[in-house]
Amino acid sequence: MARNKFDIDENLESPFNIRHFRRAIVYIKKQKTPMIVAFVLSALSAGIALSAPLIMQHVVDVTIPEKDTLSLVGWSAVTLATIVISVILATIRSRIMTRVGQDIIFEIRTDLFKHLQELPFQYYDDRPQGKILIRVVNYVNSVSDVLSNGIINFILEILNLLFIAAFMFAVDVKLSLVILAGLPVFIAVILLIKTRQRRAWQAVSNKSSNLNAYLQESISGIRVTQIFTREKRNEGIFTRLSVNYRSAWMKTMYLNFLVPFSVDNLTTMVTTAIFFVGLLAMGPEEATFGVILAMSSYASRFWQPILNLSNIYNSFVNSVAYLERIFETLDEPVTVSDVPKARELPPIQGSVSFDDVTFAYDPGLNILENLSFNVKAGESIALVGPTGAGKTTVVNLLSRFYNVTGGKILIDGHDISEVKLKSLRSQMGIMLQDSFIFSGTILDNIRYGKLDATEEEVIAAAKTVCADDFIREFEKGYLTEVNERGSKLSQGQRQLISFARTLLADPRILILDEATSSIDAQTERLLQKGLNELLKGRTSFIIAHRLSTVRNCDRILYVADRGVAESGSHDQLIAKQGRYYKLHTAQKMEA
Amino acid sequence: MFQLKWLWHNLIGDRIRYIIALLLSVVGSSLTIVNPYIGQRIVDTFIAGENASSNLASERALLIGLCLGMIGFSLLRTGLAYFTTILYERASQNMLFRVRVYLYNKIQGQDMKYYDHNRTGDLMTKMTGDLEMVRHSIAWIIKTIIESLTVFAAAVVYFFFIDVGLTLWLLLLSPPIFIVAFIFARRVRPMYMDLRERLSQLNTTTQENIAGNRVVKAFAREEYEVKKFTDKNVNYSEANKAAAMVWLDYFPYLETLAQAFNVILMLAGGVLVMNGRLTFGEFSAFSALIWGLSNPMRNIGIIINDIQRFFASLSKVIEVYYAHPDIVNEHKAAVKKRYRGRIQFDQVSFKYDNAMVLQDISFSVEPGETLAIMGATGAGKTTLINLIPRFYDVAKGRVLVDGTDVRKLELDELRGNIGVATQDVLLFSDTIDGNIAYGNPEMPEEDVVKFAGLAAAHGFIRKIPDGYDTIVGERGVGLSGGQKQRIALARAMAVQPPILILDDTTSAVDLETEEHIQKSLRELEFDCTKIIIAQRVSTTSQADRILILENGRVIETGSHAELLAKRGYYYDVFMLQTEGIGRQANAIG
Repeated sequence: MARNKFDIDENLESPFNIRHFRRAIVYIKKQKTPMIVAFVLSALSAGIALSAPLIMQHVVDVTIPEKDTLSLVGWSAVTLATIVISVILATIRSRIMTRVGQDIIFEIRTDLFKHLQELPFQYYDDRPQGKILIRVVNYVNSVSDVLSNGIINFILEILNLLFIAAFMFAVDVKLSLVILAGLPVFIAVILLIKTRQRRAWQAVSNKSSNLNAYLQESISGIRVTQIFTREKRNEGIFTRLSVNYRSAWMKTMYLNFLVPFSVDNLTTMVTTAIFFVGLLAMGPEEATFGVILAMSSYASRFWQPILNLSNIYNSFVNSVAYLERIFETLDEPVTVSDVPKARELPPIQGSVSFDDVTFAYDPGLNILENLSFNVKAGESIALVGPTGAGKTTVVNLLSRFYNVTGGKILIDGHDISEVKLKSLRSQMGIMLQDSFIFSGTILDNIRYGKLDATEEEVIAAAKTVCADDFIREFEKGYLTEVNERGSKLSQGQRQLISFARTLLADPRILILDEATSSIDAQTERLLQKGLNELLKGRTSFIIAHRLSTVRNCDRILYVADRGVAESGSHDQLIAKQGRYYKLHTAQKMEA
Repeated sequence: MFQLKWLWHNLIGDRIRYIIALLLSVVGSSLTIVNPYIGQRIVDTFIAGENASSNLASERALLIGLCLGMIGFSLLRTGLAYFTTILYERASQNMLFRVRVYLYNKIQGQDMKYYDHNRTGDLMTKMTGDLEMVRHSIAWIIKTIIESLTVFAAAVVYFFFIDVGLTLWLLLLSPPIFIVAFIFARRVRPMYMDLRERLSQLNTTTQENIAGNRVVKAFAREEYEVKKFTDKNVNYSEANKAAAMVWLDYFPYLETLAQAFNVILMLAGGVLVMNGRLTFGEFSAFSALIWGLSNPMRNIGIIINDIQRFFASLSKVIEVYYAHPDIVNEHKAAVKKRYRGRIQFDQVSFKYDNAMVLQDISFSVEPGETLAIMGATGAGKTTLINLIPRFYDVAKGRVLVDGTDVRKLELDELRGNIGVATQDVLLFSDTIDGNIAYGNPEMPEEDVVKFAGLAAAHGFIRKIPDGYDTIVGERGVGLSGGQKQRIALARAMAVQPPILILDDTTSAVDLETEEHIQKSLRELEFDCTKIIIAQRVSTTSQADRILILENGRVIETGSHAELLAKRGYYYDVFMLQTEGIGRQANAIG
């Protein structure tokens, strides 16, 4: 059962630690070379840009007083040249860094998506889909700049700071200390808001995740909403979620803007302090006017990089809230995966045996207990029994969607927990109760079962399941665009398409889980004929409630009370006059 | 301009706040000039000036005053900036909130046709990324334009007072900057349209992968999905790079031109000083404030870039904003009256994408009766019942409830009178209790349990450790098909509607359970007309009347016994379904 819904914040299991950032470094490291190049270019560009004020100084002090027009033109040209060169360097840097930033998030996103493919049903069952979606798309987008430009700028600003500090100290130590006196205050401000800021950004990420989850559900469940005329109430819930998001956002803003606010004021304060100390406390013999003048301009030049750093810091704190979520997902354990020495499952005949299998979704609540049975290759098995008795669980275990809690499942004598998942599942055809349709053409949807199938193969499969007729009735036939939720296809038609998809995969073991529940009797009869052909030579497990569907199976397993209560052919079970017989009689009476 | 008008319209409620913010922006940007001015005065009077030493001795109070003034102005300016930024954030968040809720309602109000043509991932992109960009226009783009303009204007005015000639020389740079910016704008716009389309595709692919994760795993298609995703991911990444590269094509020109203000100042200003037309003091005044011209010009590129992104996003947002469904729910029902439950189809035809789905359907169901509908897959059964709550409108004919055409009934009232358990069971990620009480969230727990019992769901719910408080995942993951159907059935019955529609709701439950459900339906405490779509004879046999649909037409109608006597479609189905059960079943027919 699920653990999270749209209005529950997902709390992080561990507090943030540097480990998260170190993991981000892994992605950054791969871009080391271009980043170093970009860094050097930036440093050069900044260095060249520094010469402009010096030239201006020279022009004012020397060239103009000397009325040297030629030299003025010359210096102007030089200035223009420095501008052009530094702009070119900056452009190259930006070109490199655009690629770096995009490549980093491309990789993070790919890894995230790949990992999601490995995660078991349980992961998807536990939380609303919208909360997974927002991580892959929106969160990853948000961290691009910090992980690329943010890092380079951070280093540049630090260097800049050290550079200016060195100059500053060379001119006057005492006044330099005055300028530095602002630093402890700045650090105190940061320390004061740091924790709150982090918590505030986490709240923003939580609230936007909740909003996203609810939005996605509202869209997929629109029909139910409309029929139950719940629009007003849903609007209320959505409004509440939006209000929560807004207040979380505003809270971060109140904190965020404190940073530039304090840096700005500290800059002014240390500048005036220079005037005070330099002019009033120190005598002219200690600090000449020139020194004071220089130091007052250093004051603002020293604090400019600090302002820039604090802006980088702000976006860093913001990104960390998203990075945590991303890495949390990447850390999600893959419970069903290939064991270290997993072998390829060789092409199978299709004999199956359950050997003392016990299974529980939640510990202590066994769905199946000590279940044992053998199926010969090519046998068709029907699973019947009350809803919720565990029929679907049996076939889910066989496909290893879940790991057994105890016991073993063998196919052709191979323990399925020891073979590669892909080699196992690609030899099985599973038709689920929920017939999911991807947006795309009908052709593509059927072809999902065998990606390289020719059009003829697709049509043949559709014919077998009696889907060809209705597909051709569409104006565009097999090229009709369908989607996840649209009403172009009826539920029965969806089942037929998903059936064709399964058959196209040509599996050795076929699992049909209520595959025909929404299909009418006439079509089902036609289907049955094609199906009988197909079932020949394949092992099949069929879950159905209609006894007409199951009576043709070689063997019927009546699943109840956490195990197989009865087993045998239709006639045997009827003769036994047990639970199957009762069920059968009930159906007869109904009729 | 349409976009501005749109923004202004949606700022309703925050307009005053926003105007104050804009005014404060103007004041605040003008103040940026004050502190450098005071600093300059301190330097001139006490450090670099001719009488610096004597001034220092005699006018300490002035020095202290100026310094305090500097701090004061700084506090004022930054305080103002803080306040202004918060105003912008507040106004933009309020607008985001307002538009988002408005769009949410728009989306909720769309008819089924809309959903047949719009993908979830696409709608999600509009509601998240695109709206964020629209918010950005209020919080940042307009703010930056105003602030840049103020600084630029202030600097120009100030410079004009000092020297008109030099100012004009400097302004020579503006036209080329504008021209480059204009060309850039035209080139980058389609790129952002493209970029956002690709983002939408990325979103859709990811969303469907998550929603269809079971199918992906069943077919072991993880690699294929990764490939599909990687395609979209590459596309999006490439589009991002491409848009950035276009920006970087123009950036060097814009940046060089913006910085060239310094060069012109040096050259033209220098010549003017040499000619004696400009004093050194005036020259240094120019050079102290030259950033007031170059910074706003530098911003132009970034502003244009963001404006184009904003346009691209807004054009997507307004698709939803102005979407107009054919079937509009005005939510106007003041008093929702309870219908008697008479349903009549009067020569109804229905078309879907030019294909005839239903043709000339006529029948009526009296209050309290049970009508069963049967027919081949795709015969139009679900379409037929979708016409009653007006998910679609008829192409011809009329659907009447209690004698009134459904198109004339208030939608909330109409739908409030109909309970539907849909075929495709959609549960919400909420507790079981919340799902059953979906139609009436205030329903007491006993009632929830009662209806769960009627739907034969109480038994299995009780056995789950958390019982009714169990959170079921979206689409009810974690429950079996039959269990989901029973919860959906309980949900539909719980609104106690006078019209109950069950669309193949018991297809995945076993017979014993179905029998229990049939009994519940017969013994409902409230008067109720029932329309039941079913494939099983066991479900339909008890109905007052059975309707057989084939290719959108009614081919047989009558009671169980009448239809069996007819030896038509229904008889065939009956034979098919009973032949497995025993030969004596034939005798009943």
